Amino acid sequence: METAALVLGGLLAVACVVFVSRPFLREPGLPAQADRLHEPDAAEQRRLSLAEECDRALAALKELEFDHRTGKVSDEDYQELVGPLRREAAAALRALGAAGQPGRGASLPGEPEGTWSAERPLPSSRSS
Amino acid sequence: MVALAVAGALAVFLIYTAIAGGGTPAVKPSELHGRTSKVQLVGTVVGPVRVDDRSQTRRFRLADIGGSVSVPVVYTGSVGELFKVGQHILVSGRLRGGVFVAERDSMITKCPSKYIPKKSAT
Amino acid sequence: MPELGRAALILCLGLSLYAAAAGALAARERRRRLALSAQNALVAAFASAAVAAGVLLAALLRHDFSFTYVADHTSRKLPALYTVSAFWGGQEGSLLLWLLVLTGYASAAVLLDRVAAREVIAWVVPTLGVVASFFALLLVAVASPFDTQAAPADGLGLNPSLQNPYMVAHPPLLYLGYVGLTVPFAFAMGALLSGRTDERWIVATRRWTLAAWTFLGIGQLLGAHWAYVEVGWGGYYAWDPVENAALMPWLAATAFLHSVMVQEKKGMMKVWNMLLVVMAFCLSIFGTFLTRSGIVNSIHSFTQGSIGPWFLGFICLVTAGSLGLVFRRLPLLRARTRLESPVSREATFLYNNLLLVALCLTILWGVCYPLLTQALRGESVTVGRPYYDFFLRVFGLPLLLLMGIGPLVAWRKASWRSLRRILGLPAALSLALGGLLIGLGAGSSIPGLVAYTFSAFVLATIVLEFARGTRARRAVAGGGYATAFVELVARNRRRYGGYVVHAAVVLLAVGVAGSSAYQSVYETRTKALMPGDSVSVGGYRYVYRGLSQRTEGNHQELRAAFDVYRGRSYLGRQEPGKNFYFAEQQTSSEMSISSSLLTGEDRDVILNGETRQGGVFVKILIKPLVNLIWLAGFVFVAGCVIALWPDAREERRLAERYERAGALARA
Repeated sequence: METAALVLGGLLAVACVVFVSRPFLREPGLPAQADRLHEPDAAEQRRLSLAEECDRALAALKELEFDHRTGKVSDEDYQELVGPLRREAAAALRALGAAGQPGRGASLPGEPEGTWSAERPLPSSRSS
Repeated sequence: MVALAVAGALAVFLIYTAIAGGGTPAVKPSELHGRTSKVQLVGTVVGPVRVDDRSQTRRFRLADIGGSVSVPVVYTGSVGELFKVGQHILVSGRLRGGVFVAERDSMITKCPSKYIPKKSAT
Repeated sequence: MPELGRAALILCLGLSLYAAAAGALAARERRRRLALSAQNALVAAFASAAVAAGVLLAALLRHDFSFTYVADHTSRKLPALYTVSAFWGGQEGSLLLWLLVLTGYASAAVLLDRVAAREVIAWVVPTLGVVASFFALLLVAVASPFDTQAAPADGLGLNPSLQNPYMVAHPPLLYLGYVGLTVPFAFAMGALLSGRTDERWIVATRRWTLAAWTFLGIGQLLGAHWAYVEVGWGGYYAWDPVENAALMPWLAATAFLHSVMVQEKKGMMKVWNMLLVVMAFCLSIFGTFLTRSGIVNSIHSFTQGSIGPWFLGFICLVTAGSLGLVFRRLPLLRARTRLESPVSREATFLYNNLLLVALCLTILWGVCYPLLTQALRGESVTVGRPYYDFFLRVFGLPLLLLMGIGPLVAWRKASWRSLRRILGLPAALSLALGGLLIGLGAGSSIPGLVAYTFSAFVLATIVLEFARGTRARRAVAGGGYATAFVELVARNRRRYGGYVVHAAVVLLAVGVAGSSAYQSVYETRTKALMPGDSVSVGGYRYVYRGLSQRTEGNHQELRAAFDVYRGRSYLGRQEPGKNFYFAEQQTSSEMSISSSLLTGEDRDVILNGETRQGGVFVKILIKPLVNLIWLAGFVFVAGCVIALWPDAREERRLAERYERAGALARA
């Protein structure tokens, strides 16, 4: 019993140590520059927050359309709200384009509300 | 606005617990002497346990957990299935004439293992 | 073999510490290989914990009583299933289960979100490492499951009341919930520590939070069912500190699941969300501290070990650390948008959150009250059931109403006009139902009546939402109603899954209201019932026929026979009683529950005592609608599954967003 425990314990320890050292064993002797964790710089951070804002504006627009379609938002309210939302979405798209993004154009990134797929094609998506 | 609402909620239940008579103090048999207000008595059941057949009233003594001071208890009502001599229990009631008269159905039996919920009555 | 177990635990501790230290260093110095190494350490920690768990499991199944833990919690005659459940039946084993689940979640989070949340992972790893180290340290130094002794001939056995299927399912499910809350916490800390303000941490943890929340909810319902059916005092929730310990983090997580939507749509409430996540995690640790330390009087008793102070210290450390971090990063979390109107979807989410948090804090106050009064006045005062019931109504009923109103309010600003229009029909329906209920006698309990009316309102709004959505979908895509319905739900899983969960909550509310506000109770007081006596309760007539005794294999059964009538029709026989187990010298109360499938009503009879002349003292409870509570559990799971189901299109959209916004260096 005891030797079995010892052997198994030893094997486990060795396996763990090897597994933990794997990144170092796979790429030994890497200089500091190549061994960097990617961190988005200020420009990327800004692009990211702009992308989020863009998504948010577009999603809000679609949700409004969906709510209008299902009758949750009346015609008058819809007229009142859709203008500012469209302007915001346009502004967000412009800002994103200006920040160096290939413009998204009219293709909508996704369908949180799901009623539009019949009318607009999805952008060709990269497999993630 | 958030802060106000939180403060409001806090105020509500602080007031409630302060005014609406909070709850019942939990005491040990050794701390009971002389108190006649309603309390929760916590202790170990000391035998013998005498049961009056017709009224299902039980008489026993309750001692400090790990101590020796005990007090006589009269209890009527449902009893947890784990009730027996040596069990830790909780009863609510008051001291009257040297005997702790427990409220009906107020007995809660504890159990030594971690996950056992044992309650005799709501 | 215990040496292997001990060694595995020490290894796990070492790996967790490494993950914490190396991970922190790697995140700070931006070192890729070290960061990967720390991630691997978490996975390896899981492997070690699994080995340790395997050792304990093997010892249990082998009846190896040289393990003190095995001897204390099992016996040779114990059925295999319960021998396995004894794994988590005691302090040390349950801690090991916690560590196993924790390292499991940590590994899964790291492996699965490695790509999706690349930049946030850096600081998530050390956070997970710290938490894992704590539990590993407890297992190594304070409460080891691998203590040995001279093996006795047989073990002490598992308490008969724990030998039921609930013991097998309830603790693991609860742990999957409790421990699961560590992941969103770690991601939140990761986001704060890396100074990131984007929503990637929320996107990454949304599913983990929902999953943990589901498990926690199901675990609690199962516990309530256990209390109701097996323990048999006629109730399902006693506001016991240990029960509350699971409810509090669940409420905090519920609030978070809602307010997260506001952050996604409007970029608001970032600070609030951080605080909620921290609160949920701290409450889950606090909850386990309450259960294990014996610090509060509870019907769940516990070993008065030395484990309490450790948890207390950990909680203080975590709370102080995380709150300090949130405070430091406050400028980053400032929202750019404001609440535009008190009548808007954002506002209803805020109200929802305030109510949930208020309820959570109320319960926390009630749980801690005995501790505070003990410290300040020298004697511990417990708040009673009325305290909790009062606040459940004060906060719960408005929450119920809000559940119906919220989904119908538009974002940003909703006009009273459109609100009136859209709420008109459900409101009218529910008020009509309320009137009808008063006519049927439901006016005997105002809170109950209000609960019923509000529940009807919410159900009406949910049905209308589904109907409107289906119709709109059909108008766009054509096809039949059924296809439109399925597609609607499939394309908006979170929204409609959420509606199903709301429906489950409504069922729960109706069940709770019915079985508490409208229950009928009879209890034999001074004179025992003799054969032939009859009792009227809740519209039923119970006629006592007599006592009988029977000896089965390992126990003796005592049963009191009752014939049940309604009016003139005979409904059946109910036989409550007691079982006396020879080997364990213990009695178990066998409550008789008769459920009506049609009305969801239960008739519970409990045998309190018997006299030598064959008389009995019983308690009879008629609980209307109580089975809706259990039905709600199934609906709840269905809703959560729908909401959790991965949506490929949504995934692609998010992946595109994060890939486009920054060129990523390949790891």
